Amino acid sequence: MFQIEIDHLNKHYGGFHALKDINIAIEQGAFVALVGPSGCGKSTLLRTLAGLEKTSSGDLRIAGESVVHKPPRERDVAMVFQSYALYPHMDVEHNMNYSMRLKRRPKQEIAERTRAAAQTLGLGALLDRLPKALSGGQRQRVAMGRAIVRNPKVFLFDEPLSNLDAALRVHMRSEIRKLHERLQATSVYVTHDQVEAMTMADHIVVMRAGVVEQQGSPLDLYDRPANRFVAGFIGSPAMNFIPVTVGPDGNRLMLEKDQVQSLMLGRALAPGRRLLAGLRPEHLAFTREAGDLAIKVVVEAVESTGSMTFVTASIASQQVVAAHSGRPEVSRGRETELFIAPGNVHLFDPETELAIF
Amino acid sequence: MKRYILLAIGLVMTAIYLFPLYWMYLTAFKGSSEIFQYPPTFWPTNPQWSFAEVWQSRGMGRYIWNSLLIAVGVTILVTFMGTGCAYVLSRVRNIWMDMALFAILMMQVLPSSLMVTPIFVMFNQIGLLASPRVAVILAQTAKMLPLYIVLCRATFVQVPRELEEAALVDGSSRIGAFFNIMLPLARNGILVTSVLIFLQSFGEYVYARSLIAKNELQVATVGLQTFMGPDASDWNGIMTYAAIYVTPILFVFMLLQRRIVSGLTAGALK
Repeated sequence: MFQIEIDHLNKHYGGFHALKDINIAIEQGAFVALVGPSGCGKSTLLRTLAGLEKTSSGDLRIAGESVVHKPPRERDVAMVFQSYALYPHMDVEHNMNYSMRLKRRPKQEIAERTRAAAQTLGLGALLDRLPKALSGGQRQRVAMGRAIVRNPKVFLFDEPLSNLDAALRVHMRSEIRKLHERLQATSVYVTHDQVEAMTMADHIVVMRAGVVEQQGSPLDLYDRPANRFVAGFIGSPAMNFIPVTVGPDGNRLMLEKDQVQSLMLGRALAPGRRLLAGLRPEHLAFTREAGDLAIKVVVEAVESTGSMTFVTASIASQQVVAAHSGRPEVSRGRETELFIAPGNVHLFDPETELAIF
Repeated sequence: MKRYILLAIGLVMTAIYLFPLYWMYLTAFKGSSEIFQYPPTFWPTNPQWSFAEVWQSRGMGRYIWNSLLIAVGVTILVTFMGTGCAYVLSRVRNIWMDMALFAILMMQVLPSSLMVTPIFVMFNQIGLLASPRVAVILAQTAKMLPLYIVLCRATFVQVPRELEEAALVDGSSRIGAFFNIMLPLARNGILVTSVLIFLQSFGEYVYARSLIAKNELQVATVGLQTFMGPDASDWNGIMTYAAIYVTPILFVFMLLQRRIVSGLTAGALK
């Protein structure tokens, strides 16, 4: 049983096609991240789910029931806004129980559920404060509290952590995840931060320019990106792309602009075909293991964060970044070799940008 | 040093602006000969206290009551009709709304003295002049509505849209969101604007003068004007009348000033 089904959904703003034939099915209890660069339509999709934007065509079902023509209040969804959108004239308690008061729930139930939610989020001592007397992190938690007291069918999060500082963001990330484990409510989480998506979600939907580029589990997207965009978007630092040509025997890749080097492949491709090889920085090693491919490079820059070392190197005129968790013995201007397991080389068609498996 | 110069300039400007007010109160307290004394005195040597007498002899109670009635009527009508309009104009953005806003602004340009003749003819034809105070209320409402809408719209624009959306998702209807979220947050703006409308209407002259024929239905501004004959000499009486008329307005203004505070929506976002 799917809790949310998005079926051939389209959205036009005048002449602008904002969402193009979106198909997503989300299981009950799943935590789904909508991720993509700004302007890709992820927020629009979320607002469409909430009922704040009308759809142009297609169907939208929540718990099996079509909600396309229903106003937000009949959809039983809760939303956490990027700006929190706390009601400034209501204290924390009234902010959190506004929805229950609208539904005219019994007073006792309202009080109990508000207290329970406040306790969960550690807001117990702040119930009579106005939003202006709260810190950013506290406001964020009130916004969360406003959603969880309702016990809705679906939680919608619109970049809820983007206004917090880095440390608090990492903390709230795991808090939200823990909260999800406990409540087991279906959640849709919009973010432009792929790390957030990777660490929090069970299922990631990568969008670009109103189109779903790929969806699947985080590791699935990481291991088997369907196209160049997803490959470059998921993972940090971003994947390196190097133009290559399939050798005459169809079994090795010749690095362009450098006819000497070649990579052996365990599979046969059409000889002479031009391709893009995708190499993840963290897969490029400085020490060789059995079966690894070797690439000669010239080190251009070495940046160390202490735990990680990022080495920028050049192959012919192409730049690649290698991420190393240790402190490799390399220095600027030196020639060295990078090694990669053949299974970690992703290949893409330079025209269609689709992955070749 | 610069601060003291600015302070001095500020004080001088304030003094220039407040001087007529001071002169009004001063003249109200001066005797008739002292008023024309040269060089003038800046503090009454022999203070007169003719407020009760002027109030009585001029029938000011009735005039002020009429002014109050008209001002309250106009304020209620304008607030009632203008608030919803201002809200809609602040929320819906398209070319038609821009044109509507422009038309509203254009209406502001037309002065009462220009409008009063067509209004008189029209009201006369539909028999509205039989209840002249209602006629003045309607005419003044039409005059004040654009100003109210434009000022009030600015207040609504400042209330973040997300708050309304949050209310909608929380289970509120659009009307519910308007009354529970938008109105309380725009309260200060609405209050300040309506007081402005009230004061403007309390001092209305042109429509009352033209549409009200009976003296017992006349407003305070027109009542003040009855002092001004060809041989006007009772400057003490005129200024006493003016002082009685203006003092409540000054109080309202001072109270209002404390209300003009921003930051009502602080804490909503971020």
